[in-house]
Amino acid sequence: MSSTRTRTAGRRAGRGLPLWLSPKALGIFVVALVALYLAPLVLSLDGYLHNVVGLTFMFMAAGLAWNWLGGYVGQISFGHAAMFGTGGFVAARLAITFGLPFWLTWVVGGLVAGLYALIWGHPTLRLRGPYFSIATIGVGEATRLVATYWSDFTGGSSGLSLPIGNGPTKYELYWYGLYLLAAVVAISYWLRKSRIGLGLLAIKEDVEAAADVGVNATLYQDAVLFLSGFVVGICGGFYASYQAFIDPLDMFSFDRSISFVLIGVIGGIGTILGPAMGAIVFVVIQEFLLASYPQLYLGLYGTLLIIVILFEPLGLSGLLLRLGKRLGRKPPASTAAGGMGSASADPDGAPPVLTGVPGQDDSKGGTSA
Amino acid sequence: MGQALALAVSAVLLAGFYASMAYGLGLIYGVLRVVNLAHGGMIMVSAYASWLLFTRLHIDPYLAIPIVMVVFFFIGMAIYRGLVRFLPRGAAGGVQSLLLLFGVWLVLRNVMYLLFGGDDQAVRTSYSTASVSIFGNSYSLNRVLVFAISLVVLVCLQQWLSRTYTGKAVRAVTQNPDSSTLVGIDVERIYSLTFGVGTALAGLAGVLASTLFAFNPSFGSGELLKSFVIIVLGGLGSVVGIALGALVLAFAEVGSIYVVPSYLTAAVGFVLLVVVLVVRPGGLFGQKVLR
Repeated sequence: MSSTRTRTAGRRAGRGLPLWLSPKALGIFVVALVALYLAPLVLSLDGYLHNVVGLTFMFMAAGLAWNWLGGYVGQISFGHAAMFGTGGFVAARLAITFGLPFWLTWVVGGLVAGLYALIWGHPTLRLRGPYFSIATIGVGEATRLVATYWSDFTGGSSGLSLPIGNGPTKYELYWYGLYLLAAVVAISYWLRKSRIGLGLLAIKEDVEAAADVGVNATLYQDAVLFLSGFVVGICGGFYASYQAFIDPLDMFSFDRSISFVLIGVIGGIGTILGPAMGAIVFVVIQEFLLASYPQLYLGLYGTLLIIVILFEPLGLSGLLLRLGKRLGRKPPASTAAGGMGSASADPDGAPPVLTGVPGQDDSKGGTSA
Repeated sequence: MGQALALAVSAVLLAGFYASMAYGLGLIYGVLRVVNLAHGGMIMVSAYASWLLFTRLHIDPYLAIPIVMVVFFFIGMAIYRGLVRFLPRGAAGGVQSLLLLFGVWLVLRNVMYLLFGGDDQAVRTSYSTASVSIFGNSYSLNRVLVFAISLVVLVCLQQWLSRTYTGKAVRAVTQNPDSSTLVGIDVERIYSLTFGVGTALAGLAGVLASTLFAFNPSFGSGELLKSFVIIVLGGLGSVVGIALGALVLAFAEVGSIYVVPSYLTAAVGFVLLVVVLVVRPGGLFGQKVLR
């Protein structure tokens, strides 16, 4: 997993590939994609499990999209249900009223969700840290109230049922979930490794300093929020197709917003593998543990959150990182720090290994600058 | 005219309760720079405490206030010593403490749900339906009492912060923790004390809320948001500012009855929050924010 190696390897061997994309990463990506594509055909999974894996892909994609904002830019959103619900209801409404093909309803739902994110995000993204987070709680709650009472559009508290036979079956949704996830992983990787990723990291570390060196913070943040809202909106459309029934109380709920935060934080903020692992944990808890103890879910999530923040702010990916160190494969992240070495040794800063952003090792980050 | 006056008095009374919600959040944020996301949860737990004391031990909610506040003071200290203390200060700590206290809130909600179920509960005293006449309109006695208590707390807090040694130390730490250490103030002790007092104030707000509203384990998220609007509006380091912020919010909500359908009144606070944060982005807190 030592991404610094892949990074330098990319510089040397990546003929024809963009600088940010290493052949090794591309190889892993393609192999994983093909394996997951073929897995259900070869393994003949239990039907329920198969569907749940498809749903997990969607949660991974949503968690990664949340993480673009929460992890890469450091703006924790407690209001992503607003875009999830918007995407879901626009998609459902288009399918019911106009009978549009499902993929089109997803894309349009995503676009509307992205635009909605821009409308509230452009002004609020100027706020940093807790201010932004609290503002997003306000946005999410206001959206939920409006959606619940706007029954002409959302069906009110009785919700909407999707027309039968319009979209793919739950079984087929596995592959659409996989395509969605693949696209989102690719975007995550690109956002992290390209010049844009460095810009985002600069914004996360210090907005004003980033602006001083020519990073257009407003544009970057708006673009990331739009993209994040777009993807989460598509996930909402996917979820509508998966459930075949949606209601505003579920789609726009605060708990829904929390789920994206949990996936990101439990897996590891700012990483790529993190939210993917977080989504697995989330779905396992949701579908298997809590099926028997539904009254415990908030407490369980709360406890997980407390444990993660106190003991391993990088979540599961931080655990992997430690495991890697213990096994003797010390990540040489700090050696490649270069111009990044001046970044403060911030425990919540970009994790070095799983994302390939160099130079955040607490002990060594500054020495190589 | 008569109706406008009635609404204005109603708004002022509402502002009393709102201010009592916001004192604790404002104090903790002002001193520790930590947004206590568990604040709403604390208010909810305290409402249950008041309900328990009343239904099981027949203690009047207003007499329960000192008991609840003392208990919540120690709960707050425990949360600080056991959890918040370990987080880094500054920008990174801000987000981490946010998530941590959010986790505490979720746990509190779940514990109350397990103990008492999800049904609405309310404290119904013999005087719950009594009313008082002000300018020819009658208002619930509880609302007037809550307003009076909120005023008393305002004065007490103000005096504590400006007259006592500990209060002055709290203000010194707010201004500059490092210099406070230099002049011999135990900063950790002040942080812990502040978290305790802030939580005790949340306890007060919860008891007051229990006399006015029905509540369940989800109670508190609206209260948290409104408290945050108020401290943003009111500014930092000033208890009077919080009271003024509460007045602004209460008048905005009551006034919105003329403009939007009644079910959207609850959204007014959220919209006001976003607008205030954007128009005065931390300005009243004196924090630099990129434009």
